[in-house]
Order: sequence, then structure tokens, then C-alpha cells
Amino acid sequence: MRFDVDSFREIADSLVRNKSRSLLTGFGVFWGVFMLLFMMGGGEGLKKSIESNFEGFATNTCILVSSQTSEPYKGFKEGRYWNLTYTDVERLRQMMPNMETITPTIASWGGSVVRGTYTASGSVKGVLADYNKIEEPKIKYGRYLNEADILQERKVCVIGKRIYNDLFPDGGDPCGEFIQVGPVFYQIVGVDYNSGNISINGRADQTVSVPLPVAQKIYNRGKVVDLICMTGKSGVRMSDEEPRMREILARQHQFNPKDKEALFIINTEQMFALVDNLFTGVNFLIMLIGLGTILAGVIGVSNIMMVTVKERTIEIGIRRAIGATPRDILSQIILESISLTLVAGSFGIVIAVQLLRLVETISLASGNTGGYQISFWTAIVAALLLTALGVVAGLAPASRAMAIKPVDAMRDE
Amino acid sequence: MLIELKNVNKTYNNGQPLHVLKGINLGIDKGEFVSIMGASGSGKSTLLNILGILDNYDMGEYYIDGRLIKGLTERQAADYRNHMIGFIFQSFNLIGFKTAVENVELPLFYQGVPRAKRHQMAMEYLDRLGLADWAKHYPNEMSGGQKQRVAIARALITNPKIILADEPTGALDSKTSEEVMQLLGKLNREEGVTIIVVTHESGVANCTDKIVHIKDGIIGQIEDNREHRASVFGTSTIMK
Repeated sequence: MRFDVDSFREIADSLVRNKSRSLLTGFGVFWGVFMLLFMMGGGEGLKKSIESNFEGFATNTCILVSSQTSEPYKGFKEGRYWNLTYTDVERLRQMMPNMETITPTIASWGGSVVRGTYTASGSVKGVLADYNKIEEPKIKYGRYLNEADILQERKVCVIGKRIYNDLFPDGGDPCGEFIQVGPVFYQIVGVDYNSGNISINGRADQTVSVPLPVAQKIYNRGKVVDLICMTGKSGVRMSDEEPRMREILARQHQFNPKDKEALFIINTEQMFALVDNLFTGVNFLIMLIGLGTILAGVIGVSNIMMVTVKERTIEIGIRRAIGATPRDILSQIILESISLTLVAGSFGIVIAVQLLRLVETISLASGNTGGYQISFWTAIVAALLLTALGVVAGLAPASRAMAIKPVDAMRDE
Repeated sequence: MLIELKNVNKTYNNGQPLHVLKGINLGIDKGEFVSIMGASGSGKSTLLNILGILDNYDMGEYYIDGRLIKGLTERQAADYRNHMIGFIFQSFNLIGFKTAVENVELPLFYQGVPRAKRHQMAMEYLDRLGLADWAKHYPNEMSGGQKQRVAIARALITNPKIILADEPTGALDSKTSEEVMQLLGKLNREEGVTIIVVTHESGVANCTDKIVHIKDGIIGQIEDNREHRASVFGTSTIMK
């Protein structure tokens, strides 16, 4: 086999001779590679953009919600309601040493927030000062609620981004201003710009956060809390802690610790795992479709090469008659096949990369996340894969070409 | 003897076995200009394929320059063809997407001769055949006679021991046929090239120095034709 300028000129000659055919055949491969890489990049970008929804949300978090019991236990009937209380918080704090933060919240839904002539819809959330460990606020103006606000039960609040935008269309620092929710006026101490899409008891950007004791009193909630949010210390797996939480609360509230319905535990660890699984599935599909398309393209190349070889019987016969060895013919056909797939595939790679760059630019310009571009090594692997597929595509046509006897050239067409 | 055939037999086994060559004995010396004549089905094409190492034979022996040509691998056969034999075909068999000069270069490409050297040699040969101006033209831009001359240049370029011409005038008009035959004669006389022409035209055979008649797979008569006076219809044959 000779690898020099001449071999490549031979190949270029025969590919260029049938421009439209080479083009159409190559298009199959081009499209396959383009689809695969573009979808891979798109999938990755989508994953990044979904992950950005968890922004400002501790990944090691679980949330406890009380619910109806589903089993009779200790003389109680099934279907009994029970409530989490503030004492549960204290109890958990003492008995769960692996937890970093344990903090309750209560919420009052669907109120309107008023400032002068401006109105916004939002919900009131009663929280403690350490709630910022659960949902990390992005403080734009002022500060978050602090221990003093809680202890002195001040009627102060931190408002979300949408409420701020609705009530203060002119912008500016709203701290010190008063807003009215229901009958009560609260003084604004801070603005939270967090707009992650995960939220507990309402979206962060439509929430008015007030000190928990204030909310408890105003909304007549007594010692009852809606949710208890917890974050683990680093390295603690929340799913390992779950049984202990159930044990503690079940003993106190007299329900079966094995009754999963009585105490509902939302574990973000599981949610992240879910998203990961989802994208494993999506990536698998992308691979399946992309590789399938490439394969179809490569089979197209193989098919066309078969036809080409058939057409070139005489030419190949002549070459054999004047001294080409079967190996010369083999290498020529296989190199033709590789060139066709590789050139077409490279176009696919280049165009996919350019298009992903465009998508990334648009996405970043409109304030979304980027991360759409495929990596350099993905491109290299794609190119290597194409070379290998080129060889495979060339095998059948090449073996047919090798079977051509020089005598065939002597026969009249 | 440059070429020696001893009792060469060939049978085709496609369905009904067909015994085509039934013991061919033939010797051809260096520098001879020979024609092999026969009707279609007489076995002359088969004989040519065997002479050109394009096909194998079942029995007997075939020597080129004292070397036994038998049981070769595809690779050896390709190598011998490349170095020892130049082919001229009836339908020219030039490669359509290559220019005249590229066609002439092709045997040297398979010998691994570097590009520049190859090009220079091809130009030399085209020049000798009066086609230097046509070097950059494609076969479909040339007349039949020109194409056959390109093919002759391609056959000559490896400086082979034998030129095998299969009906070299079959696709040409009578005037061009004569020119081509004269060209072959001139190459034979002036450069001592051994040329074997296979034909069924007695006029073509008459241009050669020796006429081998083949009939039904055996050699009938070997006519000395140095006077070029063979009858137009041959002697004791029923051919045209």
C-alpha cells in the first residue's frame, strides 16, 4: 500500500468525478454526525439549564411534611391527621446531631401585597433566621431576617424579586418602606433576588418572608408548623438519616414509624438522583438516534461504493491488467470510503460546533446558562469513529472489487 | 526463445466443460512480429489471456524468457504483467477520467516510480507517438487512432518484453487501422519490440511477419509472412 500524494490524488479524482453522487452519499454521514454532536451538546446544555434551577438550594436538604396516617397504630385509627409542631424542631435539634440546620416554616398562601396604589400577589412565609441555610437568598438590598427580628417579633420582612418589581416599578432601595399584607404592615429590611425554580412553600421571588413567631401569631397557628427543613452536615447522606427522623417523630405523634404516608420526607438527594437518571436516559436516546443515523449514512456509503465498484469493473480490470495488485485495489477502495465518510463527517463536526456556539451565544445573551458546546475530545472520538466506520463501509465493496479479474477488462462492454 | 508454450491445455468448467485449448505448442523469439489468427471460438482469446498471465491454464508449461509461469499468486501475476507485458486492447481501455499523460503514467504508478520521473517518461513516450500536444486531453476528446496510440504508449512505457495486442484495430476504420499496424511494425523493426497481435482480420495479420492460425483449440498452420503477401482471405481457411 502506498500512502503518498498520488494515492490521494487517485482518490480525489474518483470522488470528484461523481460530484453529486459523492455529495448525496456524504450527506447521510454528515447528517448523522451533525445530529449526534448537536444533540449531545443540546442535551448537555439542557442538563446545565435544569441544574441551574436548583441554584441557591442546598443539595443536602430534606423537608418533612406531616400527613394522614395510613395504618392503625397504638389504638388510633388509620386516616388520622397530625401536625408537626415547634417542639418537634427542638426535639430533632437535640436528637439529630448530624444535622447542620433544622428550621421550621409556615406559610399563608395567596394573599396580595399592597404598597400605596401598587399591588402584587404573593404568599407570606414565616421563617427563622437560619432559613437562609436552606434556600440561600441573593440579597440585593438590605439584609436577611436576623435573630433579633425573631426574638423581638418585629414586623419586618424580606421580599422576593417579583414583589419588589411590582411594588417598586421605579426601582431604588426599598428598605425602610412599609408594605401591607392583609391587615398587617411590615417594614422591608431586604430584597431577595433568588429566582431558582425550586422553592418550598411558594416561589422565592413571590414570597414575603417574615419572622416565624410573627406569622404564627397573626395567622393563629399556635405551635403548629407546616414544614421542617433540614440540611445535613457535609458528608452526611440524608437517606441514611431518614429512619431516625421517622423514629423520633413517630414516637412523639403516635404513628407507626414504618408508615411512609404519615410522614412525608422530600429528599433533594433523591431529586438530584432523579434528574441524573433522567439525563442518563436522554443521553442514551441521543446516542441511539445519533449513532443509528450515522450507521444509516455509512450503510449508504457502502451501498453506493458497491454500485461504484460495479460501474468501475472495467477500470479496475484495466488497472489489474497493467499491474495493480489486489492490495492496491483494496487500499484504493477502502481509502475512498474513509475519505468520503471522514470529509462528510468533518463537515458535520464543524457545523455542529458552529451551531452549538450560536445556541450558546443566544442562550447566554438571553440570560440563560451556557454549556452547550461539545468537548474537544468528543470531536476527536467522533472523527476516529468515522474513520473506523469508513473502513467498515469499504470492506464489502473492496472485497467485490478484489474479485474482479483482469480478464474482465478485455471483454467487450 | 522468449516465449515457449508446451502442450498448453485449458478447459472452462462453466456447466458444460469446454475444452478450449487442446495442446498448444508455440515458440516466439525475441523481436518477432507475430499474429495469431482464428475465428471466434477458436480459442485465440483464451490463448492471449494465458500469454498475458490474465488467466491460468490446466496442463502444460508456459515460459517467458525461461521463467515458468504457473501457479502464481495474484501478486506475482500482477508484478509480471506490470514488468514483462504491455497490453493493447480492442476498445483502447483508457481510463476516462484521466488525461492521456496520466493514462500512460499508470503502469509506472503501480511500479512505484516517483511522480516527476513518471510524468517525464510518459511525456517522452507520447512525444514519440506524436501526441505530445494531446497530453492534457481526456480520452473522449480524442479520435480512435489517437486513443489507440495513447494505449500503445501506455503499453510501451514499462519497457516490457512482449506487447500483446488484442484486436488492436477492431474499433478503428481501415485508414486508422493501417496507421496503427504500421506504427506497430515500425516499433518492431526499429526498436526490436516483440509484438503479438490477436486478430481475425487477414488484412491485419498480413502486416505481421508471421501468422499463427489457430482453429478449434489447436495450432493449424504457421505462415511465414515476411513478404507480406498472404492472400487477403488467408490460405486454406474460410475466414473473411
